[in-house]
Amino acid sequence: MTIAALTKPWQALSYGFLDASAKRELRRKMLKAIAVPGCQMPYASREVPMARGWGTGGLQVTLTLLRPSSVVKVIDQGADDSVNAASIRSFLSKVSGATETWDTTAATILQSRHRIPEERLRADQVLVLQVPNPEPLRPVEPNMSIARQMHADADYGRLWLILYEQIVRSGRVMQGAAYPSLVNGRHVMTPSPIPRWDVPKLHMAQHLTFLSAGREKRLYAVPPFTRVEPLVFSDIPYQVEDHAALTCHRSGLRGYFMNEIPQDDGSAQFELSDSHLGIKAIRQAEGSAVEIGPTWYENGKMPQ
Amino acid sequence: MAYVATRGGARAIDQSERLYRAELGPIDAARVDEIRRALPMLIDRVMGEASLYEPDLAALALAQSGGDIYEAVLLLRAWRTTQPRLTIAEPVLQDQLFTHRRISAAFKDITGGQILGPSLDYAHRLLATDVLQGQPYVPAPVEPAATPAPARQPSLAAWQKVQGLVADPARADVAPGDIPDLTREPLLFPAQRAHTLQSLARADTGGMLALGYAAMRGYGNAHPTVNELRLAEAEVRVCHPRGTVFSAGRVKVSQAEVTAKGKSGLLELGFCATLGWNEVKVISGATLDLNAPGAAKGSPVEEEFVLYHTEPVEASGFCIHFKLPHYVTFQSSLDALRGAKQTTAPHQPEKVPA
Amino acid sequence: MIAIDTALALQAPQLMTTPPLLTMAGVSRRYGDVVALQDVSATVYPGEVLGIVGESGSGKSTLLRMMNLEDTPDAGDYRLALPDLSGNLFDLDRFARRMLCATRIGIVYQNPHLGLLMKHTSSGNVAERLLIAGERSFATLRGRAREALGASEFPLERMDARPIELSGGMQQRVQLAKAIALEPALLLLDEPTTGLDVSVQALVLDTLKRLQRDRAITMVIVSHDLGVIRTMADRVMVMRRGRVVEQGLADQIFQDPQHEYTQQLVHAKL
Repeated sequence: MTIAALTKPWQALSYGFLDASAKRELRRKMLKAIAVPGCQMPYASREVPMARGWGTGGLQVTLTLLRPSSVVKVIDQGADDSVNAASIRSFLSKVSGATETWDTTAATILQSRHRIPEERLRADQVLVLQVPNPEPLRPVEPNMSIARQMHADADYGRLWLILYEQIVRSGRVMQGAAYPSLVNGRHVMTPSPIPRWDVPKLHMAQHLTFLSAGREKRLYAVPPFTRVEPLVFSDIPYQVEDHAALTCHRSGLRGYFMNEIPQDDGSAQFELSDSHLGIKAIRQAEGSAVEIGPTWYENGKMPQ
Repeated sequence: MAYVATRGGARAIDQSERLYRAELGPIDAARVDEIRRALPMLIDRVMGEASLYEPDLAALALAQSGGDIYEAVLLLRAWRTTQPRLTIAEPVLQDQLFTHRRISAAFKDITGGQILGPSLDYAHRLLATDVLQGQPYVPAPVEPAATPAPARQPSLAAWQKVQGLVADPARADVAPGDIPDLTREPLLFPAQRAHTLQSLARADTGGMLALGYAAMRGYGNAHPTVNELRLAEAEVRVCHPRGTVFSAGRVKVSQAEVTAKGKSGLLELGFCATLGWNEVKVISGATLDLNAPGAAKGSPVEEEFVLYHTEPVEASGFCIHFKLPHYVTFQSSLDALRGAKQTTAPHQPEKVPA
Repeated sequence: MIAIDTALALQAPQLMTTPPLLTMAGVSRRYGDVVALQDVSATVYPGEVLGIVGESGSGKSTLLRMMNLEDTPDAGDYRLALPDLSGNLFDLDRFARRMLCATRIGIVYQNPHLGLLMKHTSSGNVAERLLIAGERSFATLRGRAREALGASEFPLERMDARPIELSGGMQQRVQLAKAIALEPALLLLDEPTTGLDVSVQALVLDTLKRLQRDRAITMVIVSHDLGVIRTMADRVMVMRRGRVVEQGLADQIFQDPQHEYTQQLVHAKL
C-alpha cells in the first residue's frame, strides 16, 4: 500500500469552496440556531473570495447547504440581475455545480439581501438572508458582550423604549427596515434589513430561514412554524409600508412591495421590487405558459 | 431569459472588472518577482495582515490588486481559507530569535546590547530626485562592525522579572495543538489571550496606529515606554510524523513590548508580535495591549473596541459595502418618514421649553 | 391610581402587631481585606420608614445595595414578605433577581447617572420600568408615566425632556417617579438629597414625605445627614465600620442616644 492510495487526489479547491472543517462547524452552529430560534450563534466565519459586508455570511451558509442537485436563486433588493446577486449566484454555481434560477418556485435554496420574495415559500425550500448587523440591541447597546448578557436576561426594556420614544416624538413608529421581532416568544432578532412588508412572511412560515452575518460572525434561524412577532404596542398596530394600492408600471401588478422611481416631471413611478415576479407577469400577459406561485399577500393584504 | 440583456447585471460586472484589470495590464512572473524584491516592507505588512507568510503570494496579491492593500489582504485571506492546517509549529522563545534589530528605550544599555540593525530612523527624509533625471541611486556599502553582534539576544523582560520589577502573570500551559485558533472559532469577549494576540497580529496597520496613537496622546490610561523592540527571524520548527523536529524555514517577525507602571506598583507589559517587519504596527499594538486591562466599555483602548475595529478585511469590506444598492431599506424609511409627516399624530409630543 | 390610605397614614405606627415586610439576618460582606458588613440584621415593617445613618465607609450604602440585590453577601439571609416569594432572596438566580428588583423594589441613587438613562426622555425612563414588567399598551404607558411623574411633583410639561437637560432636583424626581411607577413594595433611597441645594433638598424631602403619607410606602433611607433622617425616619439604625451599633425609634435615638458613637453623631449635629 502506498500513501497515495490512502489519500484523495489533490484538488485546488474543496467542493463548495469551504473545506470540510469549516462546513462541519457551520452545520453544528446551524443546528444549534434551529434548536434555539432567533438566538445568535457565534461562528468562526471564514474569509471567502468576496469582501466582508457583501453577503459573506449568507454565502457561507448557502455553501454549506448546496449540493449538485440544488437549484439556487440569489436576489439583492428583490432583483436577480442586481450586480452583487449576479456575482454571488455565479460563484455559487461555479463551486457547487448547482443549477441557477430566477424563479422563486423552482429554487431549493434562496439567498437574499433585503427582501423575501412575494411568492410563498414551501416546506422544501430554504431561505438564507444576508445580515449586515445581527444585533437588534446595537442601537441601545453597542458593546456585544453586554448585549449578549441582555439577550440571556430577555432584557428588552430599552428596545421597547426606543419605540415608545419614536411614537412620542413622531406620532408613529419610525423604524424602517430591519424591524425587531420576537422569535418563539423568547429572543428578539433583527430579521435583516427586509422591509416591514416582509416580516409577517416569517411568522409561522412553512420554510426554514437562516440569517447569517459573516462580518459580525453570528448566525441565527427561524425554523418552520415558528412565531415571529414584530415588537408593537397593543394599541398601535404594526404598519407595513403603504404599498398595497400601488401599481407596477411595467407589469401592471398591484398589491406588492414596490420600488419608487423618481420621474423628470417631479412625479414617481412604481415597479415591483420582486423583479422576477414582474417578469413572470409580463410573460403571462404576453401569452407564455408561466406559472406564478401563490403569493403571501393577496390583494395587498397579508391573510391572518 | 430574454430580460438578462435588457437589465444586464452580469455583463456590467464583467465589463467593470475588465476595465479595472485592463488598467493593470498583463501580470507575469517577472512583475511579481520585481514587486517582491522592490517592496519588502509592503510585502511584510500585507503578509502580517493576511496572517499568511508567503512573499511570492503576497507579491502576486499586490500585483493582482494593483497595490490596493485591503484587496491584497482579502485575496490572501480567502486563499488561506482553502488551505489545510497541516501541523502546528513549536513555540518560539524570544531568546531563540535570530535577531537583526533590538532596541530598548527604557535603559541606556541592556544586556546583549542595543542593536540598531536596519532602520531609517536617523535618515534624512530627502527624495532622491536625481533618479528621475537618470542618475541611479546606489546605496553606500555597509561596513561590518569589528565584532559581530550575537545572533541571539536575551529578553529584557526576563531580566526585569529576576529583578522583581515586572508583574509576572500566571503562565497558562497549553499544548500547542490546543492553542485557540482565531481563524477557526469566533472571537468572544472577554477574549482568550491567544485570540487577543492573534487579532493584534492580523490587525490593520493603519487602524492600529490610529487607535494606538489615540492611546498615546492621552485617551489611554498608560503612557508607554518601549521596553524592547525586535526585528528578527524565527525558525518554523515542526514535528515530522516520525517524531523528528526540523526547521521548515525562517519567517521574519517583529515584536514590541511596551511598559508602564501598573496599579500593583510593578511594571505592566503590553505585547504585540506579527509576521514580517512592521515596527509601527507592533508598537501601536503593544500600547493598546498595555492599555486594554480595566479600560471602560466603549473606550478607544478597550479590548472589544480595538479588536473589532482594526480587523482589516471586516472593516474595509463593510466600508465599501455601502456602495451596494440600499433602495429597499431606503424605501422603507421613506414610508415611515412620509407617514410621520402626513398623519395627524395620535400622540403629539408635549412641548418642551427650550 | 394614587392609593391614599388615610386610615393607615393617620395611625400611630403599630410596629409589633404586623409581621415585618423586610427581614435581613446575619449579613456579612468583605471586599478583600475590607469588612463592609459584619453580621448585620434589619427588619422593616409595612408602611414604616427605616433610616440608616453613619459616616462614609460605615457600610450603610452597601447594605442598601444588598437590599436591592445588586450584590450577594458572603453570608446572610434576606426575605421579603410578598406573595409568591419565599426563601432567601440571595439565593435567587440572576433573572429572578432582575425581575424582582424591576417590579417590586424601587431605588433612588445619590448619583442620577446610576439610576437614569440620560439619553432617553424622562417619561421614557419611567415607562421603561413598566415595559420590563410587561406593559404593552402605549396609552397605559403614557398615562402611568404621567401619573408617576405627577406624584413625584415633576413639571409635566417637561416629561419628554432628557434628564441630562434637567437640574439635579428634577433628576431626583425622575428617579423617584421611575422607582414608584410600579407601586413597589419597598422603596430604597440612597442619599437621595445629598448634593442638592438646601432649598431644593427641602422640596424633595417634602415630596418624599407626602408620598409616604399618601401611599404608605415602606422605605429605607440611607443618609449621612441626621437632619434628613430625622425628617423622614420612624426608626433609625446607626452603623459604624460595617456593624449596627444602635437602633431604635427615631425619637429615642435623637433624644437619648445610648451608644457613644451615636452620642457623638447627635451632638455634633446639634
